[in-house]
Amino acid sequence: MNRTKKSSAIVAGILSLSLIAAACGSDEETTTTTEAAAATTTAAAADESTTTAAAAETTVAGGVETTAAPTESSTAMSADTGVAVDYAALQGDLVSSGATFPKAFYDEAIATLAEEAPDLVIEYGGGGSGKGRSDLQEKVVDFAGTDSTVKEEDFAKFTGGEFVYVPTVLAPITLSYNMAGIDELQLTPATIAAIFQLEITNWSDPLIAADNPDATLPDEAIVVARRADGSGTTDNFSKFLNAAVGPDTTGEWLLGTGSELEWPEGTQAGDGNSGVAQIISSTEGAIGYVDLSDANANGFKFAAVQNKAGNFVLPTLDATTAAAEGVEVKDDLTFFVGWADGDQAYPIAAQTWIIAYTTQDDPAKAENIRGFLTYLLTEGQELAPSIDFAPLPDELREMAMANIAKIGA
Amino acid sequence: MTLTLSDLRTKKQVGDRVFRYSTLVGGAVILIVLALIAYTISSKSSLIFRTEGLDFFTERRWAPSADKPVFGALSFIYGTAITALIAVLLAVPVSLGLALFTTQVAPKWLKKPLVTLTDTVAVVPSVVFGLWGIIYLAPKLVGFFKNLSGWFDGIPVLSSIFGTVSAGRSFLTAGLILAVMITPIITSLAREVIETCPQTDRDGALALGATRWEMITGAVMPHSVGGIVGAVMLGLGRAMGETIAAALVIGSSPTITANIFSSGDSLPSVIAFQWGEATSDEKRSALIAMGLTLFVLTLIVNFAATAVVTRAMKRMQGAS
Amino acid sequence: MTTSTPSLSELTPTGPRQVQVSDLAGVGGRRRAKNAVMTVLMGMSVAVILVVLILVLWTVVSKGWSIVVGMFPDWFTEDIQLSPRRPGPGMKAAIVGTIITTAMASAIAIPLGIAGAVYLNEYGKRGLFARILRFFTSVMAGVPSIVMGLFIYVFWVVPRGIDGLNGFSGALALACLMLPIIVRSTEEMLKLVPQNLRDASFALGATGSRTTLGIVIPNASPGIISGCLLAIARAAGETAPLIFTIGAAKQTNWNVFDGTNTSLSLQIYANAKESFATAQERAWGAALTLIVLAVLFTAAARILSARISKQS
Repeated sequence: MNRTKKSSAIVAGILSLSLIAAACGSDEETTTTTEAAAATTTAAAADESTTTAAAAETTVAGGVETTAAPTESSTAMSADTGVAVDYAALQGDLVSSGATFPKAFYDEAIATLAEEAPDLVIEYGGGGSGKGRSDLQEKVVDFAGTDSTVKEEDFAKFTGGEFVYVPTVLAPITLSYNMAGIDELQLTPATIAAIFQLEITNWSDPLIAADNPDATLPDEAIVVARRADGSGTTDNFSKFLNAAVGPDTTGEWLLGTGSELEWPEGTQAGDGNSGVAQIISSTEGAIGYVDLSDANANGFKFAAVQNKAGNFVLPTLDATTAAAEGVEVKDDLTFFVGWADGDQAYPIAAQTWIIAYTTQDDPAKAENIRGFLTYLLTEGQELAPSIDFAPLPDELREMAMANIAKIGA
Repeated sequence: MTLTLSDLRTKKQVGDRVFRYSTLVGGAVILIVLALIAYTISSKSSLIFRTEGLDFFTERRWAPSADKPVFGALSFIYGTAITALIAVLLAVPVSLGLALFTTQVAPKWLKKPLVTLTDTVAVVPSVVFGLWGIIYLAPKLVGFFKNLSGWFDGIPVLSSIFGTVSAGRSFLTAGLILAVMITPIITSLAREVIETCPQTDRDGALALGATRWEMITGAVMPHSVGGIVGAVMLGLGRAMGETIAAALVIGSSPTITANIFSSGDSLPSVIAFQWGEATSDEKRSALIAMGLTLFVLTLIVNFAATAVVTRAMKRMQGAS
Repeated sequence: MTTSTPSLSELTPTGPRQVQVSDLAGVGGRRRAKNAVMTVLMGMSVAVILVVLILVLWTVVSKGWSIVVGMFPDWFTEDIQLSPRRPGPGMKAAIVGTIITTAMASAIAIPLGIAGAVYLNEYGKRGLFARILRFFTSVMAGVPSIVMGLFIYVFWVVPRGIDGLNGFSGALALACLMLPIIVRSTEEMLKLVPQNLRDASFALGATGSRTTLGIVIPNASPGIISGCLLAIARAAGETAPLIFTIGAAKQTNWNVFDGTNTSLSLQIYANAKESFATAQERAWGAALTLIVLAVLFTAAARILSARISKQS
């Protein structure tokens, strides 16, 4: 009986210790009062959005910097817009979710921003544009990423009221494939439509051969990879096909547009851009639509797509920027950059936004959101090309910055 | 004032009653939680039933974002049924073989390790099986599936069951992973049932000149068949409800086809993947309704299983 | 093929012992062949399960070893990489998350579960309410884990908005899973306590509560603890209840009531869907950690229950 009691006591002791550890929760964030003081001075400076670089810098430099980062990097100066944000002073948490198309960009931006703003913890959960929009509707997140615009009938669902679109970055949607023996591939929109509607199922099909007169195509089955979740990438991809060969033109694309399509039976579905990438990388004969960043990181081969002008263009950042030139931007900053005019424009370029409510209950949170978005549109733009995203054209960027100022105003 | 014995008795009684009722509370919590689950799930799924009625169960199309959204659960019910069926078909021979080997064939020193072996499979979390399935197993199976498919080319019914292979994620892969996961359940319960077979029955068979296998089929199986059926049904219930492992390898592409190499989708997997996007109240209601369907289906199977097992156990205890 | 009937002398055992298969000399070749084939098939089932288990464990260990042990102690001290394509270890957030959600869930489920089992075995016994309770306990044990997660999300998380995503919500979902398991196993253990112990206690004038708390539970405690440990091991490995309830944190968060969190199971799930080798490596490492955790708890439970059977 004693031995049993002893063993029970030991186990009970271990259990209670772990329970105590759980109960005595303590946040690991360290806060310093000096940084709080600096934050108030910079908040004032940011709100005024003055253009005097010198003035802003001295006000912030006066505050005590307890971080190891040099003063220069903590005060972000954008020469064009002149908005000063003291990243080091930002503290708090931001929770967000949404589009996986720009996720690689946001992840990298968050990681590099963390070096300048160690007290700001940002979480971007991904999950697809659909998830982001619905999370923001219910205010389960502070802001959301979406590659497609919100439908009019859904506006009322946004419980926080009015929201703004902040375009952040552009990127091409590649048609990546995994087929040994095909090193270069050219595809017209009509062929793409036929592939994804499972009208042609073999790589050696005459339609593909017609697009690639010089290539020898293997006699292998095509495996179509598409998105399982509600995806802005799907939305933009389908909008391109609809504009190029949809019912209003040649009528070859019949699945319409939307973040979820009624795909024919027999396609493979992945969760997020990374899920589709996973299918392509592990399946011989697969083809799917993936953002350039994920495609390059996986070493995929992708097709050159015929654009509106009739040229076969590869999904490069330059071709993406070319697609954005002269695109019509609406007042709320929504626009569509696919199937664009332009000789060297890549036809499946895509845009993405971050949406956030204009009314914010917590001014500190609003400041954090503005801070992160400003980072995306300043230093983030310089960071983008290194991970295969294209920065916004200047005009668009300025309009985006103006929208940022509306958050929590 | 000194405490008299009667004072003590009252104090004790009060304390005792408090204790008794607090244990009642502990048990009542279960009832409360279950009632809440039933209520929440039913009420939230009522929207889709008002919109679509019972067509929800027979509708094959799943088009939540179409201009006129259609929510049909049939493909997912099919996927759940097919993968569970494959899982059971694969698991039963292995589990039975394992249970019989452990109880009838293995020498004494081997019994304990075999039980430990079975139980170790049960310890591995389901998400680890899913990880192993999607990264390790699925790509490796493609070649094997293609060969298998080739064998059945041209044979009338079988070639549509073993049809074209596109990728490693399929009904069959999901069924395989589920089979591995439910084997411990079926095996341990079958073992328990088999071990209650009286030694006299077994000795009698052997005395009449039976081989071990004939003894098994002649004495052990007739005795245990009820319990084993119950064990299999419990395994079936578990296979139907298992979410993560199957979700990762089933392909997430709603399909109704006899081809077991095709990818598909199942009730728990679609809920897990699509839940995050309540693009409409109807869609959310549809997903909850699918949760309700899954709940009811597993309930029915588990009930039937428990009933079968209890009846078989009672009969065996009566006989011995 | 003729089967020769064995003669009586061949059948009669030479002494008092059990009948064995080898006594049946002269059994027909066909039947013996069938017996042999069937024995081989049964043996093959064992081989199949053994091979699968070894394959799974070997894959997890070999792929997860370098990141967990090779980079010791970074795996346990570094937070999760902010981008899936960045290489490097770090699962501290997930390990902490698993520990605190499982601990919180246990704190809720174990007392309630033991209380319920005590009621069933000591007070309710065969009464109507007790039978209803037992019935619904089995029902609850069969609820698919994703339905639990769905329920907690709709019922608990949504009304709280963004604050609803935290470790506690996840713990609630896990507790719902653990409760019926603990009630059932504890009731089984309480049944094993000999009735004469209780009778002796009553004879000495103790009340029901004194008897239960002082005699019955301590006597059954190794078994009860063993059952609880198994339930804890099960809860630590669950994914579906947590998907909707705890968010997707990458930083360590010891506070179970505030802020999003993550867990080893969720990290495995998320990284399993990535194509990057760096992310997949972290998935294997997390799988290795989780298996070791589950095995430790299960082994502790086994040792405890072996002690009981030794003593009885």
